[in-house]
Amino acid sequence: MGYLNNAVVTVDAILTTKGRELLARGDGSFKITQFALADDEIDYSLYNPSHPSGSAFYGQALENMPLLEAMPEATQNLRYKLATLPRGTAKMPVLDAGFSAIVLKQGSSLAITPQTLNYLGNNQVFETNGYSVTIADIRTLSSFNGVGVDQTIPEGTNTTSTYGTSVSQTVIGTTINLTATTVNTLFGANTSLTTSLLITGRDSGARVTIPVTINKTNA
Amino acid sequence: MSFNRLQPEDFLISADSIAAGCWTGNSASISSFNTYAVQTGGASGQYYYNVYQKTATEVDAEVQFAVAYGNLNGSGSVLFDAGVDGRSPTSVVYGQFQNIILGDEDTNFTYGSITPTGSDQYFWAISVNRARFKGNMLPASLDLLIANGGTGLQLTDNSADIGSDTFTEAGRVYQVISGSNGSADATSGGINSTYGSYGLFLPDIGVILLNGPAICEDSSVGAPANNSNQDDLEPGELITNLTSFRLNSNENITSDYVFIRARNSEYNYSENPSFITGSTGEVKYSSFINSPQTFITTVGLYNDNNDLLAVAKLSKPLKKDFTKEALIRVKLDF
Repeated sequence: MGYLNNAVVTVDAILTTKGRELLARGDGSFKITQFALADDEIDYSLYNPSHPSGSAFYGQALENMPLLEAMPEATQNLRYKLATLPRGTAKMPVLDAGFSAIVLKQGSSLAITPQTLNYLGNNQVFETNGYSVTIADIRTLSSFNGVGVDQTIPEGTNTTSTYGTSVSQTVIGTTINLTATTVNTLFGANTSLTTSLLITGRDSGARVTIPVTINKTNA
Repeated sequence: MSFNRLQPEDFLISADSIAAGCWTGNSASISSFNTYAVQTGGASGQYYYNVYQKTATEVDAEVQFAVAYGNLNGSGSVLFDAGVDGRSPTSVVYGQFQNIILGDEDTNFTYGSITPTGSDQYFWAISVNRARFKGNMLPASLDLLIANGGTGLQLTDNSADIGSDTFTEAGRVYQVISGSNGSADATSGGINSTYGSYGLFLPDIGVILLNGPAICEDSSVGAPANNSNQDDLEPGELITNLTSFRLNSNENITSDYVFIRARNSEYNYSENPSFITGSTGEVKYSSFINSPQTFITTVGLYNDNNDLLAVAKLSKPLKKDFTKEALIRVKLDF
């Protein structure tokens, strides 16, 4: 992945892995109908609203930064979407999963029902299209599913793999159920396993990452 | 909030014709013609020789084209069965191109206005690798110099001299004539007075068929033996006499343009973690409440299932606020 030449303004477009798959399928599922914009790579702490030269220079550090090329893996793009909100918005939609960290014993289960704060003027806390939830290492869970939204959609995102074994898995739903693995082999000499859960609001684009720890209890 | 539906007027499909040098690295001309002994000495070598732009064993050597020798009577290669006359690799090659180009085993090739008969029915076929000529070979770009020292025979196609194209079973066909850049040499008229044109240029299938008798009479290529029941290495005879070969490829690329329009009231806030402060989602700077600024770096194109089908990155961030509208043209090539 290289840098794009920013001496001239260009747009570097590629099909994602998912896009190529759907194009090859030839069943009409490769049909672009909507778009989203994102500001991946931008660090707003570099924005300087007290720049001595005035407001035209507030974003000086960001406007000319070089950007990296697009990546074919869908999950690595558009991580931070831009949102259309009424002028005067002081708070952005924020995901609240109810947990800042998840700690499970082997075999124990948990149901997560994410909420979106500051969403639609605080009139709604659940997003209509639910939440996309990705576990970084599915081997740490014996079951992982979402309920409340059509489950055929996220299948294509379950692509991250190692040595032919899928290690990340995505489900969608308004409630996510997960059960920690009972298999001891994964622990080796360790007493716990760690992974992470990425939750993304499918309407708002808000996202939160929660660390997950599975503690070994079986002898 | 994050997704915007595209309207019919946001799409444009356009087909562009792209011409480039035919050979590796988009080079238009090569002057080094190398074969690989393992291939020419193997089973496929009885039918054709692959030609590389550099020594075949080098890492970046690539096959540019293949040369096959076709002889209606099977001369120039060993008969498959000594008791069956006329059935050998060279007759197979002849029939193969007869089938592709003429579509009829009883029809003979005609070069200009001359149809060869008897022992004059042989040719060399230069078959350009598909990866090299892409969609088709660009007419009027052929300049093939056959010269083994001394004055050579400079060949081109006659596409610049004719008013309308002629078609065969293999698409467009032009006569190979002496001259350059698609036009005949003024003094000779471009053809051999006895054997007609020097061959057929078939851009749509990437084949140049060289009329054997005409080539042998006017160039340094030696005339093949007649009724020969042995491998006379005829593809090698032509390759040895090649001096330079200029050719352009041509490709029609269909592009799908998608116009992304971000209106003044749209996309002025960000879910970027650095856009907010703390865990309650408050925007980082007080000025962002009424005058937020975002910096567009990425465009995502989705289907109705929210599958990310294509992604486009800008080469530099595009500033967006309530006083600006953005129009981004994304071009997808297929």
